[in-house]
Amino acid sequence: MLRRLMPVLVLLAASVPLSASQFIQLPFDQVAREATLIVRGQVVGVYSAWNDAHDTIFSYATVRVQRYMGETTGPDVLMVREAGGTVGEYTQQAIGFPELREGEQVVLMLTKWDGSDDWRIHAYNQGKYLVHKEPGPRGIETLSEDPVKQGDERLEGGHPRMQPRPLMEMKEFEEMAVAAREGRTIGPIDRRN
Amino acid sequence: MKKQTFALGFVALIVCASASPALAYTLLSPRRRWKTTPVTVRVNNTGNSTITDSDGGVTAVVNAIKAWNIISSSSTSSSAVRGTPPPIIMLHTNGNICTGTCLAATLTGYYHQEGSSYTIDDADVYTNQKFDYTSSRESNGCSGEYDIDGIMTHETGHIIGLGHSSVGGATMYPSVAACDFSPRSLEADDINGRKDLYGK
Repeated sequence: MLRRLMPVLVLLAASVPLSASQFIQLPFDQVAREATLIVRGQVVGVYSAWNDAHDTIFSYATVRVQRYMGETTGPDVLMVREAGGTVGEYTQQAIGFPELREGEQVVLMLTKWDGSDDWRIHAYNQGKYLVHKEPGPRGIETLSEDPVKQGDERLEGGHPRMQPRPLMEMKEFEEMAVAAREGRTIGPIDRRN
Repeated sequence: MKKQTFALGFVALIVCASASPALAYTLLSPRRRWKTTPVTVRVNNTGNSTITDSDGGVTAVVNAIKAWNIISSSSTSSSAVRGTPPPIIMLHTNGNICTGTCLAATLTGYYHQEGSSYTIDDADVYTNQKFDYTSSRESNGCSGEYDIDGIMTHETGHIIGLGHSSVGGATMYPSVAACDFSPRSLEADDINGRKDLYGK
């Protein structure tokens, strides 16, 4: 039953406002197809530093890869660079941009920065999912959008705005991502995230 | 069959209800504001090459962001210097951060603490050159273009300390579509956010 309802749930979830500043929202298939890598991993460390021109702070997240999805493959550890961060007492926020935090369990769709070998999250927040493991013996993993982007209010943990809303199960995501990369589409709807 | 239809409807209802929380405007974290109003915002006079009005959207943006009623805006030949006021809107450069699917980005975080409150020192806005934009001063209609008036009114909301709103149609609503002109005008929710920070 849940499987049959999945397209409806994903479509409804897509109606939730994404906390992204002025971004173009791409279809899920396009994000998955354009990503160079799709990884399931954990953020094990983050540090921030100024760029060479000393005008932008970037944060560098070390992601320990648990597995690559689809045909993609790569090293066990990836470094993902995103704009924004804190160096000393100086903070730069790129409002609405994604942020990687130590300890997060994530699925990331990654591409490289223009003119650089550094990885970045593809399509900003559309390329980042938080992974949640349901309690119980089956321990099903579900994915949600990250409800907190750069600059967002850090409301108390129980606040509805802080609660990630599950979008889909991990296996559903993987099926959709693999299908997209193979040029197939699963389900009758245009999925967005 | 009837049972299935009912179940489908019920689940859809639950998801809809949970997906539409009664939340409205948000503030940037930590809560912060400019010390005095009006807030001076400048628009770099190198306009955007895709906007076919007389100055690449500069005058349109200068006028549009006044919608907040606490903004003193004009054009300037100066470029944005991060961390140094005044806030400057750059229509012709992505600042090396607003690429890909980003239309415009506000880079902020420049603030300092005064007692228990935080005062904003600077915020700058950059525009992705990959997309086509239109303005209120263009006369050739809109086709697949993004409205620079509305986009920069939204970004100016960030400049003054607002985050995003979950109220559809509000200027601070986080997503925008091509030829969507609604963010140009403030909704009650945007005004409530401004009043929260500035008392007016």
